Amino acid sequence: MKRKFEHPAPSEREQLTGPAYWRSLDELQSTPGFRAQMEREFPEGADTLEGVDRRHFMKIMAASFALGGAGLAGCRRPEKFILPYGKSVEGVIPGLPSCYATAMPVRKWAIPLLAETHQGRPTKLEGNASFEPHGGAASLAAQASILDLYDPDRATAHTKAGATVTREQVDQILDTISQNYAATQGAGLAFLAEESSSPTRRRLVAALRAKFPRSVWAEYEPVTDEAPIAAAQAAFGAAVKPVYHFAKAKRIVSIDADFLQTEAGSLAHARGFAQGRRVAKKSDPMNRLYAVESGLTLTGSMADHRLRLSSSHMLSFAARLAAATYQQAVDQLVPYVHEIGVSQAWINECANDLLAQKGAALVVAGAHLPAEVHALVYGINVAIGAVGQTVEFIPIETTPGVSTISALATAIKGGSVKTLVILGGNPAYNAPADLGWAALQKSVGEVVRVGYHVDETTAASQGVVHVVRAHYLESWGDARTVDGTVVPVQPMIQPLFGGLTDNEIIARITGEKTPDSYALVATTITGLAGAGATAEKTMARFLHDGVLAKSAPRPVAVRFSVNGVRQLLGAPKPVIQFSAGNVEVRFVADHKMDDGRFANNGWLQECPDPITKISWDNAILVSPRLAKDLNIEPKGSAIQVARKEEAEFTMGKQSAPVFELTVGGRKIRGPVHIQPGLANYTVIVPLGYGRSVTGRVGKDAGFNAYPARASDAMHVASGTLTNTGTRALLANTQEHWSMEGRDIIREANYEPAATPDGKSYQENPAFVNTIGMESHAPSNIGPVGEKMTPQERAVQIPRGNSLYSTPKFDGHHQWGMSIDLNTCIGCNACVVACQAENNIPIVGKEQVMRGREMHWIRIDRYYSDGQIDGSAFGGEGNKMLPEEPQISLQPMTCVHCELAPCETVCPVNATVHDDEGINTMAYNRCIGTRYCANNCPYKVRRFNFFDWNQRKLDELYLGPLADFGTPELVKMAKNPEVSVRMRGVMEKCTYCVQRIQNAKIQHKVKMTREGKPGDVRVPDGTIKAACEQTCPVGAITFGDILDPNSAVSKAKAREQDYAVLGYLNVRPRTTYSGKLRNPNPKMPDYKPLPHSRTEYDRKNVPPSHDHGHAPAAHGAAKKGAH
Amino acid sequence: MSKLFPKSANTLPFQIVIYLVVLAGIATAGVTYYMTPKYTRVGYAPVQPVPFSHAQHVQEIGLDCRYCHSNVDKSGHSNIPSAQTCMNCHSVVKANSPLLAPVRESAEKGTPVPWVWIHTTPDYAYFNHAAHVNRGVSCVECHGKVNEMDVVSHSKPLSMAFCIECHRDPAARLRDPKDVFNLNSPRLADKGPEGLKTAQKFVHDWKVTPPQSCSGCHR
Repeated sequence: MKRKFEHPAPSEREQLTGPAYWRSLDELQSTPGFRAQMEREFPEGADTLEGVDRRHFMKIMAASFALGGAGLAGCRRPEKFILPYGKSVEGVIPGLPSCYATAMPVRKWAIPLLAETHQGRPTKLEGNASFEPHGGAASLAAQASILDLYDPDRATAHTKAGATVTREQVDQILDTISQNYAATQGAGLAFLAEESSSPTRRRLVAALRAKFPRSVWAEYEPVTDEAPIAAAQAAFGAAVKPVYHFAKAKRIVSIDADFLQTEAGSLAHARGFAQGRRVAKKSDPMNRLYAVESGLTLTGSMADHRLRLSSSHMLSFAARLAAATYQQAVDQLVPYVHEIGVSQAWINECANDLLAQKGAALVVAGAHLPAEVHALVYGINVAIGAVGQTVEFIPIETTPGVSTISALATAIKGGSVKTLVILGGNPAYNAPADLGWAALQKSVGEVVRVGYHVDETTAASQGVVHVVRAHYLESWGDARTVDGTVVPVQPMIQPLFGGLTDNEIIARITGEKTPDSYALVATTITGLAGAGATAEKTMARFLHDGVLAKSAPRPVAVRFSVNGVRQLLGAPKPVIQFSAGNVEVRFVADHKMDDGRFANNGWLQECPDPITKISWDNAILVSPRLAKDLNIEPKGSAIQVARKEEAEFTMGKQSAPVFELTVGGRKIRGPVHIQPGLANYTVIVPLGYGRSVTGRVGKDAGFNAYPARASDAMHVASGTLTNTGTRALLANTQEHWSMEGRDIIREANYEPAATPDGKSYQENPAFVNTIGMESHAPSNIGPVGEKMTPQERAVQIPRGNSLYSTPKFDGHHQWGMSIDLNTCIGCNACVVACQAENNIPIVGKEQVMRGREMHWIRIDRYYSDGQIDGSAFGGEGNKMLPEEPQISLQPMTCVHCELAPCETVCPVNATVHDDEGINTMAYNRCIGTRYCANNCPYKVRRFNFFDWNQRKLDELYLGPLADFGTPELVKMAKNPEVSVRMRGVMEKCTYCVQRIQNAKIQHKVKMTREGKPGDVRVPDGTIKAACEQTCPVGAITFGDILDPNSAVSKAKAREQDYAVLGYLNVRPRTTYSGKLRNPNPKMPDYKPLPHSRTEYDRKNVPPSHDHGHAPAAHGAAKKGAH
Repeated sequence: MSKLFPKSANTLPFQIVIYLVVLAGIATAGVTYYMTPKYTRVGYAPVQPVPFSHAQHVQEIGLDCRYCHSNVDKSGHSNIPSAQTCMNCHSVVKANSPLLAPVRESAEKGTPVPWVWIHTTPDYAYFNHAAHVNRGVSCVECHGKVNEMDVVSHSKPLSMAFCIECHRDPAARLRDPKDVFNLNSPRLADKGPEGLKTAQKFVHDWKVTPPQSCSGCHR
């Protein structure tokens, strides 16, 4: 939808109280009770009301009751009001959500989004499907970013030296700066900004620089997610950046690049990668991923061949791969080749595979790697014919005269900076430690800080002017996506606390009297749209589509310059061989906190890390080898001595030893977590935690790694680890890492082994039926039952002799889901999408440690190394931690069993089936016996142990003595279509029943209008569950299984589709498609079976077993449900 | 022992049981009568900020429900009209009536008129107007004869039992879709045996299957 709000001038009341949006009469009147509530917040670490003790609180509550009491009509019920609009708002129908296109800017790219708003209140973000490369997906951070809008700890007023100032005073301050520096052409004026892709900002900065040519404009980002320009400059002699087409790539080599998660454009990459990975039938091709990495990233977890290598050795690796792919360059590359412990056969076979798929292969390098590696990778891509096919280059707009934070620091030291304007960012927290930024900032006379939170940077200077920065959902703006397409940033709501955008501030300092952020954007966009375009039409189209058509720059032809690269490579440098005493330290952006910007976001804090599964904390990750050397290897399970765990768990809480990490004389302390799959002597240090000045969510979460990071070693450094002897507790949501040879995730290799064993996908696409209990027994419902519809099955073959009456499943639809384990990359976007859609509360670190997290969908992560000891302890022993594990990821949520074990044990019928096959929860019936959770084989039910929504997380144990109520701002984030649950009730995945019901109703209304009232079946694709909608790889398919042509029916028809724990005869509606691996049989590390299959065989098929039943016999035993 | 208790005490346990049963019966009857929506809700007719008369507007002027409740057939929520809608007429008719002062103020300033909420479902029950009025369920089924009310009062209990009763047997309550907003029209089933047949055909042809599962209303 398109619309520009003509916002009326704020009334006197609004100017006084801030929020232009109000939800209740209390808020409108700004009663003391409401204000008290506003300042309250629920997450952990919250103090009592600042300066308000309990007695005082009672007083003001009484005052607000008195105010409310005046209007009470009687004692029979509280009087509620319906507050219609005074003036109707065009296009708004109360009760129906509207969607608007916007975008979330991320460094030099952006994620196009659709925001769902309920009467002007955004509640949910989804990817904008108009931007084809993302196909409607949104990332974990984008899903969660809406919570920041409603963060009660965000800066709520402009301040100067801590005292509130009005908007007019802010304008005056900015005007004064503008006037003062007009004479000196800006000498003494400096700006420090975040990176941005906004064309408008670029235009405004150019104007600013034209007016103040002697000012300093510096940009700083603590982490980088794009290839350095220097590499392209050297290799191609042009300012270009790569745009990858993973969908076309059949062979991919990732050199320390986490292109599926942390690199710029990850959503588009993931989508393309999944297109090449998805296998629906035997004839479908499947791509192959080689990953060389020091850490264990999600990209690495998807790899078919994974090589552990220190990041410092990547140049050497790239040189060897380049030499193997382009023989002519061998002589020139030899000096850069060092002994790094990689077998030449590995590199040769990998190179041969790339060359065999010339034009359909691709090599990518991690953004954190030096330009030399990138330049070599560009060379390899030229050699394997990737350029123009799987990778194209687009010109980038460079802003001339952009300075760095180091140069700015030098200028400040030199005393030449009198006024410093900091736009966003948080340099006092995340600037390189050697700059000593906080002290430098203090030495500047005047500091204007534009920030979303009052943070370390605001606190670093005394007289700082803090200007509230608007959230992107409150701002007019624009941005470019990863391929250069211009997308709008459209406000969904007026700035709740009068925030300003960077653009407005830059424009005002440049001298514009009344900068209107909409007009600023409209000018840019009309300019970009070219001649003949009217501003009105262009903007209408732009805002409606959410993308500016044809705005992506055309790919340019590039010529590889050997000389340029030779110059860049320079003299060969020796490589460091790391050891336990001198480890490689890698600073990485955290999966959730990024560089620390999301520290106060409860959804992200509580979301477990995709790999470590730790929530609310970061940890120094070390390899099992290093752990052994450091003598911190866990002893293993107390019950089963032979089973080795990756961490020490006492009462379910991970107890981690705290180590001191010294990098270049700078020390930090943090808990150590043993992470299988790391390069032996590389430690991974996630940034973004340990914020000292932040809101109540981010406080005390994790440790701060920035103090160990210097400007000469921003990404990779070397350091030493020393044990402090203390321990810290971590909230780890997955205690156990091994599947122990069970059949929960069923895997096969795509191609047959050299000696065919019938176990590969090509040989037996229905391989899942040869694994697990079902392979040894006939189907629970027999061959006849397998062919039945759900109705027939329910009526004719109910569970034997059960008193519980089986539902009839006679609805117009029967809902089901299929999850493709082959494409799931474990990004966790679904977890937070579900949380946003279904009003799922956060519970805080302490409660996560008790296993009380509330996520309806979780991603289980398992390691396997094929080394399971088949004879020990019933074949369940893992006597060592795997160093080179294979990773299997499985999204797990309620599978909506047709014969649900939870239902039969509920004493009050609170969980029952509906006629369309959904296992529903009637919250108001639930009395909280938790029998259902006990009887759930999938462990997907979540219990509200406390009133998470109404109580502060640090006062949970005070019971009724604690404050009660949800802050208004937090209430605004809730989805009005879903009940907010209270203490003592069970909850779980509902297949997004609110979306189903609303879609059914809308369809019926539409069909009735069109004269086809009998058409009540919702067309396939109309309903997307929140997890399915945001999944960048399309791993989740939901729909009507009665319709044989629906996407979900087709997904379930895949031969590798199976029911987890299907032998229980619970007939789950959610089934899984087996995971495939595509290793290269010629590679030296080739294994004919996936490790998990090896472990399964070791445990379940004794060596003497003569494989009496052929695969065909196995195949007769079909999946439990479908 | 016989010294301790008189013979009449032998019947005491029995009497106690009788008393308890009677007491429980009275309590149950009391709760059922006094604590259910039938008693607590029906008849609720609060004083509104503006004494708006539905009877006058519908019967005298002949307004359709949807003139004011314009989104009732599109949205789950039946909207209360904005002051602007009122002012369509009242900028001319009774333009200076003191009773309409709140409406004029609302239209001018944009602040809402605080109408008192009468018909409401609990937060965990999701009622959808569009789903009902588009498929033969008239306003009158839940709201009573609002067209005859000077002061709107709660006329039906709107309890879960009330909902389920109709969901179990929709044919008995459906109207011709044309008559949904005509609050004086009879139900199809009330038009004799022929009407009942029409209603059953309606249910069959339109596939009217009101949900009786929890998920129909509770999310």
